[in-house]
Formats: sequence, C-alpha cells, structure tokens
Amino acid sequence: MSRMIFLGLVGSALLAALVWAGEIGLGPVLITHEDEMKIVLLFGSPVSVQTSPGLSLRLPFVSEVRTFDKRFLYTNAEPLPMQTRDAEQPVIDHYVVWRIQDPLQFYRSFPTGLKQASDQVDRVTRSDVREEVGKRTFAEVVTTAREEVMKAITDSSAAELAGFGIEVRDVRINRTELPRNTEENVYARMRTERERLARKNRAEGDEQGRRVRAEADRDARVTVAEATRQASELRGEGDAESARIYAEAHSTAPEFYGFLRRLEAYKKTIGEKTTLVVSPDNEFYELLGRGGRGAGVH
Amino acid sequence: MARQPEDSPEERVRRSVARTIANLTLLVASIAVLGAWAYFGFYQLEPGQAAVILRFGKYVRTEGDPGLRWHWPPPLESHEIVNVESLDKEEFGARHGEEQSEEEVRHEASMQTSDNNIVHVAFVAQYRIKDAFKSRYRVAEPRAILRDAAQAAVRGVVGRHTIDGVLRQERGMVQTESEEALQESLDRYEAGLEVVGIELQDVSPPSEVRAAFDDVLAAMQDRDRSVNEAEGYANEVLPKARAQAIEAVESAKGYRDSKIAEASGEATRFRAIATEYQKAPDVVRTRLFLETMEEVLPNVRAVVVEPGTAVMPYLPLEATRAPEVPK
Repeated sequence: MSRMIFLGLVGSALLAALVWAGEIGLGPVLITHEDEMKIVLLFGSPVSVQTSPGLSLRLPFVSEVRTFDKRFLYTNAEPLPMQTRDAEQPVIDHYVVWRIQDPLQFYRSFPTGLKQASDQVDRVTRSDVREEVGKRTFAEVVTTAREEVMKAITDSSAAELAGFGIEVRDVRINRTELPRNTEENVYARMRTERERLARKNRAEGDEQGRRVRAEADRDARVTVAEATRQASELRGEGDAESARIYAEAHSTAPEFYGFLRRLEAYKKTIGEKTTLVVSPDNEFYELLGRGGRGAGVH
Repeated sequence: MARQPEDSPEERVRRSVARTIANLTLLVASIAVLGAWAYFGFYQLEPGQAAVILRFGKYVRTEGDPGLRWHWPPPLESHEIVNVESLDKEEFGARHGEEQSEEEVRHEASMQTSDNNIVHVAFVAQYRIKDAFKSRYRVAEPRAILRDAAQAAVRGVVGRHTIDGVLRQERGMVQTESEEALQESLDRYEAGLEVVGIELQDVSPPSEVRAAFDDVLAAMQDRDRSVNEAEGYANEVLPKARAQAIEAVESAKGYRDSKIAEASGEATRFRAIATEYQKAPDVVRTRLFLETMEEVLPNVRAVVVEPGTAVMPYLPLEATRAPEVPK
C-alpha cells in the first residue's frame, strides 16, 4: 500500500513538474492561455496551431513555439489632413480595433511580429479612410453620413486585411478638424447666424409686447363700451318703467292730471320777474283782487 | 522480504511493526506534502474584487464573493484578480494634470454639429468592469480603447444635433445617445466594460464667437422683458377698464331704480289726491289752485286789462319791466 501511495505521489509530482515546465515554455506540455494562440514549429515549419485555450502536447527540445495575442488590439492613427469631395481639408483622426484571426497566416505575413502588423493595419486603414473621405463631402463625413462612412471604411479594410490573418472589428473616425482659415469662415458664419437670431428675438419681443398691449387696449375698450351699452339699456329701462307707472296712474284721472300739471307749470314758470297780464274775468284777476298783495290794482 | 525463510515469530512482529511505522511516516509525509501544495490554492478576495479562474490556461469560472477562497493549486488552476464595482472615470476636453497642453485640450473638446457649427464639449465618462474575464482576456488595452471610443461616440452624437440643441435643451439626449453608442462600441470590442454614464460638463461656443452667442441670450432676455412689461401694462389697464365698466353699470342701475321709485312715489301720491278729488272735485280743485296761487303770485307784477276795451294788442315788451301799468 505504501508503495502505491509513494508511486502516486511521485507520479503526480512528475506530472505537476511537466505542467509547470509547460507554463514556462519547456517540455512536452504546451499550455495555451485564454488570451493566446500558439503555433508549434518543427525545424522552422509549422506543425500545429492552437487557437483555443488548454493543454496540448508537442515534441520537446526540437520544436519551437510562437505565441500570438488573441485579444482585440487597438491602433490609434496619427491625425492627418485629408481632402473631401467638396475640397475641404479637415484633419482626420481615426482608430482601429482588430485582432489576429488566423495565427498561421499572420505569422507568414508578419514574421517579425506585432509591430509590423500594426504598421500594416495603420497603412491600409489610413488609405481606406482617405479614399472614402475623398468620395464624401465634409458635412457627410462629419455629420450626416458619419456611420455610413465608417462602416464602408471598416468593410473595405476588413476585406483587405483578411488575407493577412487579421480581423478588423471597427474603424472609427474620431476628430475631424478644419484647418485654421476654414475654421475662421465657420466662425464668421456662426456670428452672422447669431446676429440674425438676436435680431429676430428682439423683433419678436417687440411684436409680442405690442400685441399684448394692443389686445389689452382692445379688451379695455370693449369692456367699457359693453358697460356703456348696458348702462344705457338700464337707464332706458328706468325711463320706460317710470313712464309706464306715471301713465298708469294718470290715466285713472286724466283731466285732474292736466289740472295738476298746469298748477305745477305755474309754480315753475311764474316767479319774481314775471309780469302777469290778466283780464278781469280771468281766474287770476279774482285772485289778485282778493289776495290784495299784488302790485297792480285796478 | 516476506519470503525469507526461518522467520522467528519475534522477528515477524518486529518487522511488521517497522513496516507499519514506515507506512505511517510515509502517509503523514504525503499528507503534509499534499497539504503544503493545497495551501497554494488559497487566495483572498476583497469586496469589489473578482477572481478569474483558469485551468491549464482555460477559463473555468469567475468568483465574485469576497473572503478566503480556494481553487486547485498551481499548476492545475490559477487565478487573476480584477477590480470590479469600483467606478473609473475618464475626462475629456478639460485639463487634467500636466499631461495635455491647452492646444490638445482644445482639439479634444472641439466638435462639429449637424448645422456645421463648432461647439466645445467637455465631458466625463464613468464606467466599471462588468465582465472581469472579458476585460482581462478579450481586449488588450480596455482603457485606451474606451478613451477613443468615448470621443468617437460623443462626436458622432453631437454631429447629429444642432448647436442650439447641444447647448441647451438636447443635452440630456446627447448624453443618453452617447452612452448608448459607447456601450455598443465597447460590446463590439468585447471589452467587458459597462458605461455608467456620460456627463456633459462644459458645453460652450468657441471663444471666437462667444460674444455673438451671449448677445443672443441677451436678446432672448430682452424679448422676455418686453413681453413682461406688456403684460404688466395689460394687468393695469384691464382692471381699470373693468372698474370703469362696473361703475357705469351700477350708476345706471341706480338711475333706473331711482327713476322707478320716484315714479311709484309720485303715482301713489297722485292716486291719493285723485281719490280725494273725485269725492269733491270743485273744492279740491279750488283749494289746489288757490294754494298754488298763494305761492306763486306774491312775487308777481300783474297787469290788468279790461275786457271789451279797445286796447291795442300792443305789447311793449320792454316796458313791461317798468313799474307803471299801461292803460
């Protein structure tokens, strides 16, 4: 039993040692990590390719291993002036996200490694950007067709670089800056636009203010006029009603009313400055004689 | 050894004891070795950390619970600790530290709008790791990619909005759309990052045209002021008119009511007198006449003309004022 335990221990220690050796790139065990792909070369020619992570075997001592990054890589291009279809010359900046798709093809294309590949990616995408931008107006590149432009560039770069074992995931335009003198034109246009807006706002303010005032004046006039109409109606009502009341009362004794009314008229018309010319058979004469206080005597 | 001849019983016992001791020693030793090996499988996770576990280089799981954790010791499994949860942020278009010159910051902030204006936008992107495994094993430089992708996203979105929108009412939309665009890019790069938020910080027109923009703001205030003043005027004029209207109507009502009241009063009085009159018309008539005359005549000059006398129908109107009585 002890022997079995012993053998087991020694055996697993040996396996562990092999794996450990594999971790540092020695021995027959080959470990490929999640972020790697490996190619095994025997006397310089590739014999196996490991694209998925895990354990594999190789011939120790005589074979060589090349490791490739499996992750998405990122290349930021230098901003460079490019010509658009409408003869603007914006400085355009883009970045590329790509990864190694086929390590064998990649290794054949770029035997010296990643730097060489990255330069190639930069070169191809740059020329694609330049070409696509040349087909478009500045406004299209920057605003209206931005996504479309980037999609077209990504597609053509992807197609070109696929032959190098490279997958292009995305080419995106970042900064798009106009040269200094063109920028000045933009500023001039912006200023004019703002001046127009300022004038429009002030004029609108004036317009609205005047409208509000005019409406207020109108409402005030209408209110007063309406009230005046109502007042006249009310007065008329009063006059009519009082006339009706008088008429109703007076019609009960019209003759007497006439008499009374005459008396009233005398009261109102006859005063200090009145000279009365009467005939003696007149009612007044009688009164004058009897009253005795009158100025004139017969 | 067991096949050795001439074993005495004592010898056999002694050998068996020795063998047992050797076995035990070996067992203890092997347990110790295994234990020591297993010890290397322990690791500690702080809150906010996650451990990515690889077996022979291949991903097996992500541990997220803090505490003392264990995996099969190396070389079977290995772990990689990644800080998740903690928020990271990247600033754009604002000067941070001495890394960027003023000119670079200006370039970073300057963007084109859909109406071909230029606007300066400074913003902050906040993000965290949502997938520890991807952020470590799928993308080479997640942070650098995030920086460029964020700028491209915001530029793309600003390019779809007008300058007035970006400066004012569409800021929220720009933020949300940028977040979405950036998240979409990051997912396409399998960066394992989550955009928590993009916040526009300083959005302003370029200094070259700022005065013109300020004047538009001033003009808007002028407009508002003009309208406010007019409304103030209206608020003064209308109540005045209403007051005037109420006065007119009320006074008219007063007139009507008083007229009617007066008439009713007069009518009642007339009826009363008329009733008396009808009882004794002559008496009343005479009395009323006399009363009136009493009142009226004392102040009157009278001229008496005999009936039947041939008086010229000449009326010296001027002379009537004289005290003499013409005959």
